[in-house]
Amino acid sequence: MGKKRKAGDGASVEDSGKKVEEMAVERPKRTLLGWKDKTEVVEEKDDESGQVFRNKEKVLVSCSRRITFRYRHLMTDIVSLLPHCKKESKIESNEIKAQSINELVELRNCSSCLFFECRKLKDLYLWLAKSPNGPSVKFLVNTVHTMEEMKLTGNHLKGSRPILSFSSNFDNDPRWKLMKEIITQIFGIPKDHRKVKPFFDHIYTFSIADEHIWFRNYQVVTQGGIEKTTLVEVGPRFCLNPIRIFAGSFGGPTLYENPLYVSPNQIRALEKEKKTGKYLNKIKAKAKRKVHELANPIEGDEFADMWRED
Amino acid sequence: MNMSKNDSGSESEGEELPLLEPSKKAIYNREGLLECLEEIRWPEDVKWIHKLTIDHVQDQDIDVNDDITREMAFYTQALEGVRQAYAKVEKMGGIPFFRPADYYAEMVKSDSHMLRIKSRILQDKKQIVEADERKKSREAKKISKQVQSQKLKERAKSKKDDIESVKKWRKQRQQSGYAPGKDEELLNSMLESGTATATGKKRPGVAPGDRTGGISKRGAKFGKGIPNSGRPGGGKNREYKDSKFGNGGRKGGRKQNTAETTNDIKGFNRGFKVNKRRKI
Repeated sequence: MGKKRKAGDGASVEDSGKKVEEMAVERPKRTLLGWKDKTEVVEEKDDESGQVFRNKEKVLVSCSRRITFRYRHLMTDIVSLLPHCKKESKIESNEIKAQSINELVELRNCSSCLFFECRKLKDLYLWLAKSPNGPSVKFLVNTVHTMEEMKLTGNHLKGSRPILSFSSNFDNDPRWKLMKEIITQIFGIPKDHRKVKPFFDHIYTFSIADEHIWFRNYQVVTQGGIEKTTLVEVGPRFCLNPIRIFAGSFGGPTLYENPLYVSPNQIRALEKEKKTGKYLNKIKAKAKRKVHELANPIEGDEFADMWRED
Repeated sequence: MNMSKNDSGSESEGEELPLLEPSKKAIYNREGLLECLEEIRWPEDVKWIHKLTIDHVQDQDIDVNDDITREMAFYTQALEGVRQAYAKVEKMGGIPFFRPADYYAEMVKSDSHMLRIKSRILQDKKQIVEADERKKSREAKKISKQVQSQKLKERAKSKKDDIESVKKWRKQRQQSGYAPGKDEELLNSMLESGTATATGKKRPGVAPGDRTGGISKRGAKFGKGIPNSGRPGGGKNREYKDSKFGNGGRKGGRKQNTAETTNDIKGFNRGFKVNKRRKI
């Protein structure tokens, strides 16, 4: 259990630690669960200045209305993976505006937001946003597999902290660097969160392949020792295609725009266009044939009358 | 047709271009991105235990379209990550890494879901085993057919050889000047009928009252088929019916029930179908 401290208590904690050492014979403190016999651990400090780093990240998870079941299941999976998140009810599509969502995030005391936006019952867009000052990233989500699926046989503790494994090409480019930072802050679970369980039994991998971020979640299975460790996939699986990075949260000036991105609408339109014009093509072909036949008349057959008996 | 295709092609090519080539107008504000990163990033000297991030050096690009190599790459990345994280946690000391076997707590997937997964896996395994067995039995059947036909051929051949040898022997006897005696006649009749029925001696494998010469016991092998061709008449059905109802001859108590057959209820219907899907 994390010990609660008052703000600006850094120095006094150390003092109390010394006191406990001095008066070790004193009777242990009584708690609800029995006697507390251990001396309280003084919280470690991260640097010389005496400031303690505390991760107070809270993530708001929400989605748009008219989301399909598969994407909704993906969202619930992510909710079950993040003990430090708060789930918000669906947001009407006409209310999907930067201001209203930011207000929501602020109302729920959250510092970042995962927003699942489903369009046309087909395409899923995922917003990763830091609130209130940004930045935010918009992704297109591909190849979604949820935890429901039977092929993913692993399982792990609800609320244990994941190890986040990034492929090295995240450090190549400022945009990937920024995304890596946002992902670590949102998907990393705060160390002293009250719902956290104390072991490391799963790992997330984020790797960049083909300009997409691929997400996998594996359970760590061990038969004694690190050498005999194997991994079993737990799910969910998805693949994020970055579209844009904004400086603000859910809006603001664009910092990056994916030049390779083609919206799924455009792809569908192209496919449709390929199928059109069947009838027109046929008519054109007929006319062309006629012109060709007129231009190149067939010569009369010289042997046509050969066997005629007259 | 060709012309029209070209027409539509030139129209659509203009639209397909963004698929192949990155657009040059795209914004990429590197300074802005780095500034943003500086703003939101955690302090540099944050202890690793807060972040739990591991960097994995990827040697080569992953081929996205090859499922197996891609997943393998992710797997190795994860495994490597676990090893590194374990080393780091060990170095810190005092923090347990693996979950002890007797630590029970709420899991991400519910027990009922895990049970479903388990049953699915078992079912899959069972299906594979069953398919294998079916395949094996099919092959065994093929082989047994071959063996059977070979046996029949061999039998016919040996019979032919026997008859030939006897004929040879008789010719030799005639040539050496023996008059045909009683035995000779017997042999002749035997050769003509092909069996030993004329002797009136005890025939092996035939019931005493059986006038068919043991055909009923042998099933329909030579019953209705073409005689001496080695081809059985009818199929399995005929064979079974012949063995059940017989074709001639006394049944010798074969159709009477015994204690075993009265207790055997294999052939009875249960009378109603049990709905396996019904929830109990």
